[in-house]
Amino acid sequence: MPSYLKHTRIVVVDNGASTIKLGVKGFNDSDSRVIPNAIVRSKGDKATYYGHEIEKCTDYSSLHYRLPFEKGYLVDWDAQKAIWDGIFTTDYLMLDPTESSLLMTEPYFNLPNLQDVYDQFVFEEYEFQSYYRCTPASLVSYGKLYREKGQPSPECVLVVDSGFSFTHVVPMINGSIMWEAVKRIDVGGKLLTNQLKELVSFRQWNMMDETYVMNDVKESCCFVSTQFTRDLDICRANPIGNPIVQEYILPDFSLNRRGHVRRPDEMMEDSYQILHMNSERFAVPEIMFRPDDIGLEQAGLAQTIAHSISLLPEDIQGMFWSNIGLIGGSTKFPNFCSRLAAELRTLAPVDSEVKIYESSDPILEAYRSAIAFASKPDFLQKVVTREEYNESGSNACRRKFPDWKPKEGEAALTKGKVSVELQDVVREDEEGAPAHPGDVVGRKTDSALG
Amino acid sequence: MSNIIIVFFSDCGGQHRAIRNTQSVASAQLDPDVIAKRTRRHLDELERSNYSEPSALLAGEEDEDGTAGGRTGKGRARQATSDKRAAELGKKKKSTMNVRTAVLYKKSFTMLLDESGLASYPASVPTYLSAAAPPPKEPPRMLCSICGYLGKYRCKRCSMPYCDKNCEEVHDEARCERRVI
Ligand SMILES: [Zn+2]
Ligand SMILES: [Zn+2]
Repeated sequence: MPSYLKHTRIVVVDNGASTIKLGVKGFNDSDSRVIPNAIVRSKGDKATYYGHEIEKCTDYSSLHYRLPFEKGYLVDWDAQKAIWDGIFTTDYLMLDPTESSLLMTEPYFNLPNLQDVYDQFVFEEYEFQSYYRCTPASLVSYGKLYREKGQPSPECVLVVDSGFSFTHVVPMINGSIMWEAVKRIDVGGKLLTNQLKELVSFRQWNMMDETYVMNDVKESCCFVSTQFTRDLDICRANPIGNPIVQEYILPDFSLNRRGHVRRPDEMMEDSYQILHMNSERFAVPEIMFRPDDIGLEQAGLAQTIAHSISLLPEDIQGMFWSNIGLIGGSTKFPNFCSRLAAELRTLAPVDSEVKIYESSDPILEAYRSAIAFASKPDFLQKVVTREEYNESGSNACRRKFPDWKPKEGEAALTKGKVSVELQDVVREDEEGAPAHPGDVVGRKTDSALG
Repeated sequence: MSNIIIVFFSDCGGQHRAIRNTQSVASAQLDPDVIAKRTRRHLDELERSNYSEPSALLAGEEDEDGTAGGRTGKGRARQATSDKRAAELGKKKKSTMNVRTAVLYKKSFTMLLDESGLASYPASVPTYLSAAAPPPKEPPRMLCSICGYLGKYRCKRCSMPYCDKNCEEVHDEARCERRVI
C-alpha cells in the first residue's frame, strides 16, 4: 500500500435505486445524508431538483421522476452523472475527491458491462484516489446487526435485503457471499407503492401521478398481516368501522399541510380529502410473502429463504436458519419480522432454531457497516488505486473486488469445498453493542390487532 | 388530484349466494398465453417510475429533463441533462470518451443484459438470470380483482376473479376485458 493512502479520507456511498446514503468516515459515522437518487420535476414549483436539492421542494404533488436505476440496475448514466456532479464536489463533501478514497455499493449480480462504467466514472470523471466496490450485504458482517454482547459475529449468516427494486436473499460465510445460493424476488418498494396507487385509484381517488404522496401513505399505513384471511374478513365485515381501517388525510401543498393518518381526536375540516386505508394496509406488503397474488410466479420470501439454504452445504445449514438478518427499507413494515419468523418455522427442520436479527435502521444498516469496514486498517489494502486503474483499467477492479463471477483461473465454489473453508474466525468486538434479535417479538403493528 | 370516485365499496359484506353462470375454477377454454401476457403487462406497469408521460405532465412548460428521460433505445439526446447540469454547477472538466459514451447512449436494462453475455456463461456460474426465486409451491389464491377479498368465481370472458354479485357487476362495467377466451 502506498504510504499516502494511510491518511486518506474515505467517502462512503450506498448508491441505491431510491436513495443515496452518503457520508465521510469520521464525520458522518452513524448518520449519513440520505438523498433521493432521482431528478425530480415539480409542476407546482415549476422547478427541477437534482438529488439532494429536493429539500428545496415545496409542492410534492404530481412529481415527475427520472431515476438512474431501471429494474434495480444503473442504466441512465446521464441522470446519474447529473446527480453525482452535485455531490462529488469539494463544496458538498468538504473534501477533495481527487485526494480521497471511495467505498461504493453496487447491486447484486451487477452486469459486467455496467461494472466497467462504475469504474470509469469513479476514476475518469471524479478521479478518486482509490476505490472499493461491493454489494450492501457483503458489508453487513462488519456492522452491528449480528453483534451480541461478548459474542463473535457468526460465521454463517443470511441477509435479506429488501429495497426499492427487489428483494434478495444473500447467504454468506465469513463475509463471502455464496453466490450460487443467492436468490432474488422481483418485489420491492417501487412495485408496492405502484400497486397501492392502482388499488386506491380504482377504489377511491385517482392517485396515479402521486408517487410521492402514495409512498408516504404506504410508509404511514401499511403493515404485514400475520393472519391474512382473518384480516380480510375483518375488513369486509365492516368496511368503515373495523380495527384496521385508517383515514389518511391527503396533503394540501398550497396550505403547506402534509399528509398524515387522522389522529383519534382530530377534527375534520371541510377541505380535507380522505383516503380510507382498509385491506390495502396489509394486502400491499403481502405481495412480498405471496408474489403470486399479483401473478408473479415467484416463491414468497420464506420459501425463497428455505430454497436458498437448501442449496448450501448440509452440515452448516442450521447456522443460516439461526442467523437471518433484515436490511433495506421494505423490511420496515410493522410485523414483517414476526410474519417471516412464523412462516420460516414451518419450513425449517425441527431441530433448527430460527432466529431473525432486525436492524435499528434497516435503510442505514449497509451504510453504517460500510463505515465500520472503512475504519479497518485492511480496507486500504483492498482498494484499487488510480495508478492501478490508469495502468490496467477495469481489469484492476476485476482482480481485486469481490464479485459473483469466478476470478480468472478460479473455479466456482462447489458444495464440498465450502465447508472445508470454515474455520473459527473470531472478530474483535469493538463496541460490543447489542444486536437486535427479533425472533420472538417483531415491532408491534399500529393496528389494533397487534 | 382529481376527484373522480369510480366506486366506493361500502357494501362488500354482501351475499355469498351462488351466482348465476359462474364456474369456480378456470375452465379449459381459457387461453393461458393471453392471461400470461396480461399479467406481464401489469407487472411492467408496476415497474414504471411515472404514470403520465412527461409531455402531458409538463405541457406548456419548458420540456427539459423529462424529454431526455422519455427517450429510449440508443437515440442520442439533443443535449444531455448532465451537460446542462454541469454548466449550471460551473463544472469545467472535460469527460473522457468512456464517460461521454455512457452519458450519451442510454441503453435499456434489457439491452444491457443482452450485451452482457450472461446467457453464454456456463451453467455452473450463478448470474442475474439464474438467481430468480423459484416458482411458488402452492397454487395461487384467488383474490377478487375488484375489492381484494377472497374470490370464488372467475369471469367467463376474461377469467379475472371476483367475490360476489356486487363485484361481478363492477367488473362487468369497469374492468372486464371480454377477450381472453
Ligand atoms: Zn369483491
Ligand atoms: Zn371479465
